[in-house]
Amino acid sequence: MITKIFVAIAIAIAAFTLTAGFGQQAAVVLRQEQQTQYWPRRGTQLSGVYQGNRWVPSSVRSSYSNFRGGGPASGK
Amino acid sequence: MASPAQIHRVGRYTDPFFHLLWLITGGMIAALIIGTGWGKTLLSTTVRVTPDQPYTCPPIELRSNAIGAFRADVEAIVPTNRWLTYELQLKDAQGQVILSALKQAWAESGTWSEEGESGSWAENDLLAGLDVRAGKTEPVTLTLAVLDYSDTSGQELEQPVSFTITVTEGAVDTRYLWAGLVGTTLLGLLASFSFGKSGRLVIQRRTPDSEVGGRAILGGAKNLVRVYLYIKADRSAPPNLTVQLSITDSNGTEIYNNHHTVNLQQQKSDGKVTSARGQLCKFFELAPRDSYKFYAIVSPANSIDNTKIQVREKSRTLWPVEVTTIQASL
Repeated sequence: MITKIFVAIAIAIAAFTLTAGFGQQAAVVLRQEQQTQYWPRRGTQLSGVYQGNRWVPSSVRSSYSNFRGGGPASGK
Repeated sequence: MASPAQIHRVGRYTDPFFHLLWLITGGMIAALIIGTGWGKTLLSTTVRVTPDQPYTCPPIELRSNAIGAFRADVEAIVPTNRWLTYELQLKDAQGQVILSALKQAWAESGTWSEEGESGSWAENDLLAGLDVRAGKTEPVTLTLAVLDYSDTSGQELEQPVSFTITVTEGAVDTRYLWAGLVGTTLLGLLASFSFGKSGRLVIQRRTPDSEVGGRAILGGAKNLVRVYLYIKADRSAPPNLTVQLSITDSNGTEIYNNHHTVNLQQQKSDGKVTSARGQLCKFFELAPRDSYKFYAIVSPANSIDNTKIQVREKSRTLWPVEVTTIQASL
């Protein structure tokens, strides 16, 4: 009896992890404001947010001592 | 009179759901192998980036795939005792930044000494990874920029930093698959250990002696009875013990009486044998349903500390087992 319950749980775990793994649920979705499912890999944090379709770099980047005003996009 | 006991190998009491459970675990292992090899490498290169000169990779097609995602894996190659902040940027065909992500990487080493011992340590965290899914296929460029590079004392460095960049399409997130494999394996193990305790416990008795027994109403058609005998002996016990197990029906007629050999496992503490344990597991089909008495006598008796008997009915097994079938005539 208990193995039936275990099988049901195992199927639920397999279905969820296969969907999330192969479907890349934790990836960043381009041009989507809500990134609630984003799960950073290797401590890589997003440095901005989407506002509408536009990517707005976050102000956290300016806290670096040699910040160069907008990073590589704006040049030096 | 009882008909003679018959011993058969019986698979009827195995639980197919148990095997299904391990099949699911096997499926997760297969998924992990497939998932690891799924992605296709689009770019693999080593570049040098100076703090004021970002590096831009050649344009890459970011495809909208149902399976997997666009993956950029970057590793900074720096000497030890360095702090480094670098950024990955994705730009669209017009050169607009459409995504950026930061990695605070470091590599440190040093020496330690404690209680007369000493050695060196080195640790680092230099890898960055970004997985991206797109709604539509579009050309993108990946740019790598060093925002901050210093030694551990905070001294800014203007030297170039080497990076290895690997871009993959259709990369699968194996973290979920690992989690799924761990989860399903735990369930399989839990189920494996629970089988000894499956069914209904009808007799449980423990005596500080070499003889133990009990009576209960059990048995009937298609009902597997599992008898466990646990023996604890002192250190003077021989390596093998003999257990005489008997079953008596409600009339007092003995329907089973057999001798079994039990190997003892020695328990050690600080290299010295302190005690020894052994167990016996036997399966029966007893018909009709009636009151049966189980009795075990362990010999030689002088070294036995205690014995415990557990009888369960409606038991299940992992694999086909040897079952003693006894038809008692009342």
